[in-house]
Amino acid sequence: MNVVIMGCGRMGSTVAARLSNEGHHVAIIDINVHAFTRLPADFRGRRVVGSGTDHQFLEEVGIGEADAFIALASGDNRNLLASQRAKHVFGVTTVVTRVKDPLRSELFEELGLRTFSPTKIGADLAHDALFSELSPGSEA
Amino acid sequence: MYIIVVGGGIVGYGIGLELQMMPGHEVTIIERNASRAAELREELGEMVVDGDGSEVAFLEQVGAGRADLLITVTADDAANLVACQVAKHRFGVKRTISRVNDPRNEELFRMLGVDSTVSASQAVMAQIETTLPEHTVVPLMSLEGSGLKVVDLHLQEGAPAAGRPLRDIRLPDQTVISLVIDGDGPRVPDGDTILHSGDEVIAVIPVDAEETMRELITGRPESG
Repeated sequence: MNVVIMGCGRMGSTVAARLSNEGHHVAIIDINVHAFTRLPADFRGRRVVGSGTDHQFLEEVGIGEADAFIALASGDNRNLLASQRAKHVFGVTTVVTRVKDPLRSELFEELGLRTFSPTKIGADLAHDALFSELSPGSEA
Repeated sequence: MYIIVVGGGIVGYGIGLELQMMPGHEVTIIERNASRAAELREELGEMVVDGDGSEVAFLEQVGAGRADLLITVTADDAANLVACQVAKHRFGVKRTISRVNDPRNEELFRMLGVDSTVSASQAVMAQIETTLPEHTVVPLMSLEGSGLKVVDLHLQEGAPAAGRPLRDIRLPDQTVISLVIDGDGPRVPDGDTILHSGDEVIAVIPVDAEETMRELITGRPESG
């Protein structure tokens, strides 16, 4: 599978390394060249410097031939713009978008994107962890 | 009407000033930068609020649910797009207008349901085009929803539409020749009006009739 990942932060670099190890062709993009130092030394994918919200840049990266696009940049709005472009303009079939704001995440899921909110997931985990600490073994 | 403006930069400020002059409208200007918001509030008063206009919870707080119009004018296209989409799909705002900083985003914005887009570089290009002899049909504005647009036409030497009364010219359906500007200035034409090469014409035409209009006003070679 050809995957383009936008954003080489902690999450982006981790996902990129994992997909690459699983044998997928990964291109990871970031506006900051220093972000790529987060990737493991043996990372076999492509590292491309540029903005994932830029039409021409996405084209140059080969978004047209990608099977999947994952938006993991820090800004919710940038992820949403890039993902919608990948899906609706470049016709990428599988698009996954990180949206920190749970409300925006929910809305764009309704609008047809596959989104997830680390804030929502983290809050649920924190809540469940609290109750499993308070009464081990019982349901929260 | 209740109007929400997202972005308190130079454009948002200008819109705020204009809307302030139009009584009967309620306006909120959302600016993300707190010190910029405070600065604007000194001049525009309570209409300026400090917050993130692409955030669902904040838009709810400023009453987006009863807004008639949301205008996004930040320098960040991603923020502009998302604010318009949230307004439209979460709060049912009837009309959204967005500034587009990168002209290549204009098509994407339209595709995703932003009702009108405004791009400075496109506007400047339209101005440039009116001065180029090879540009005979210059789009001035589109009339949303009606499938019509307003164009500026320049009649060339030997054009099929020149030298004949307007009533004898076969125009595309729904076309209205609104104004003819010649050496004597602008006038509203009637069926007897004869167009001449060199005239400038403002017309309302269907969006798909640009090519037909171009043929009518473009000069043909003598042999053709």
